[in-house]
Amino acid sequence: MSEVNCTDKTPREINQQIRHLIAQGARDILVRGPQARHNLGVAVLQPVRLVFDGSVGYYCAGMIDGPRVEIRGSTGWGAGESMLAGTVIIEQNAGNSTAASMRGGTVVVRGNASARAGIAMKGGCLIIQGNCGYMTGFMMQKGTIIVCGDTAEALGDSMYEGRIFVGGKITDLGNDAVVEELTVEDQAFLDATLAEYDISTPPRFQKVVAGQRLWRFDKKDFSAWREAL
Amino acid sequence: MCGVVGFLDKSGNGQAPVGQVLLDMLSALDRRGPDSSGVALYGDQAASGLVLQIKLGESGSFETQGSHIAQRLAATVPVIGTSVTGAYLRLVVENQHNSHGPADLERAIEAAGQEIGLNLEVVSMGHRLEVLKQVGSPANLEASFGISSSIGTHGIGHTRMSTESRVDLSHSQPFWAHGRPDIAVVHNGHITNYHKMRRIYEQHGHRFYTENDSEIIGLYVADQMSQGASFEEALRASLDDFDGAFCYLAATADCLGFVKDPFAFKPLVVTETPSYIAIATEERALRIALGEDFPVWEPGVNCVQTWQVPAPTTH
Repeated sequence: MSEVNCTDKTPREINQQIRHLIAQGARDILVRGPQARHNLGVAVLQPVRLVFDGSVGYYCAGMIDGPRVEIRGSTGWGAGESMLAGTVIIEQNAGNSTAASMRGGTVVVRGNASARAGIAMKGGCLIIQGNCGYMTGFMMQKGTIIVCGDTAEALGDSMYEGRIFVGGKITDLGNDAVVEELTVEDQAFLDATLAEYDISTPPRFQKVVAGQRLWRFDKKDFSAWREAL
Repeated sequence: MCGVVGFLDKSGNGQAPVGQVLLDMLSALDRRGPDSSGVALYGDQAASGLVLQIKLGESGSFETQGSHIAQRLAATVPVIGTSVTGAYLRLVVENQHNSHGPADLERAIEAAGQEIGLNLEVVSMGHRLEVLKQVGSPANLEASFGISSSIGTHGIGHTRMSTESRVDLSHSQPFWAHGRPDIAVVHNGHITNYHKMRRIYEQHGHRFYTENDSEIIGLYVADQMSQGASFEEALRASLDDFDGAFCYLAATADCLGFVKDPFAFKPLVVTETPSYIAIATEERALRIALGEDFPVWEPGVNCVQTWQVPAPTTH
């Protein structure tokens, strides 16, 4: 396994070293002592394994396309932001806007995720083993969010498309988010997906989708629009 | 995009390296705003008296003016210690002095300044609180005041990127809640109904020293507490009364707490271990100051949490 030691290095120097190692053929890279620095491991486009042995700051593994990124700590805002493909595993808690605008791949949060996880998601799968924060799935357009624990206020607010599965308690649904019956296919998907990441499936899931009332303007829905905007 | 930090030692023995921890945390966040920086330290000077930090001017040395003010005050106030560091006069007033309330004492100091043409400002007053702040990055703070050697029970700190009001000593944080000893706040964000609330307070006779919206938070907390609210109740009430995206930390002689805004627009992370509580705008501050051996989480919207300094354990 190749190693990058973060001591006395700027995020740019660390990222350059990661790129250099990949260019040299490294496929398994351990980054030591990230100490919650921001912007680490962004835009890695090769199918390598990148392990951070501690917490990282903002936008870790943003814009990646293919790697498996493991974070043995917590993350700041926007982990996995705009990622295209690959896997991001966060061993502890995740900050605001985790997996914002992700397009593909999988993000797994083993702890709790803070506010606006999966905001404007455009694909892929976000799995939160613990609880999630305020406005999770806000304006999501595609993809899947699985929350094994409880959700905070305004879940799925103004979502266009996509689906949110909740294994715990739904505190409050956002504007135009509705609960729908789970299908047999949904349950099979949940069982298979969670098993892949060694997460035990909660006994009962609820499924939240867009109510589609905000898709087009209808004078009858004026009050809903006023609330949403 | 300011940075705020807070630390509370759970032993309660008053010997924790609060100055060093706050300095390390602030240094880690200084790129969030190097305009000004400051700390509110809660030490154990209760025995020595009521400690005041008085701003003599914006910058430069005020040795002569400082001793002049101290002499003038000594005629009416039982001053038991004075020293001048940079633009600050540190004054220690006898504890048992009851003829002046905190507000009267503040007025007396301001009047003494007026007599020699100086616009003085009491930046902190407390039996345990001392505010040290200045223009520039946290590194300057250490160079000017040597805060790394300060010990105590708890403290809060701030590094500022100004967005609305002036960059000068008065507008830097922490803010002491004028008129009420030992309450201080640091704030990251905006109080959008500040002007409206300020007018109401001014109609009730409160004086404002800056154009900074953060100043009103200390006043608000002090006002709520003087109406009978507990520290935690005062912080909770602020969520109803303040508008905007704000995260702030507040402290009293024996409490530390934070308030997270109703939209989670402002970052704030927290950790609690068996030995301490630490709060910062970014996790980086906690990792650099305190290591890797604890979990960190970001509190949810409208989250208010307070902690009390425990009574010192006796052996």
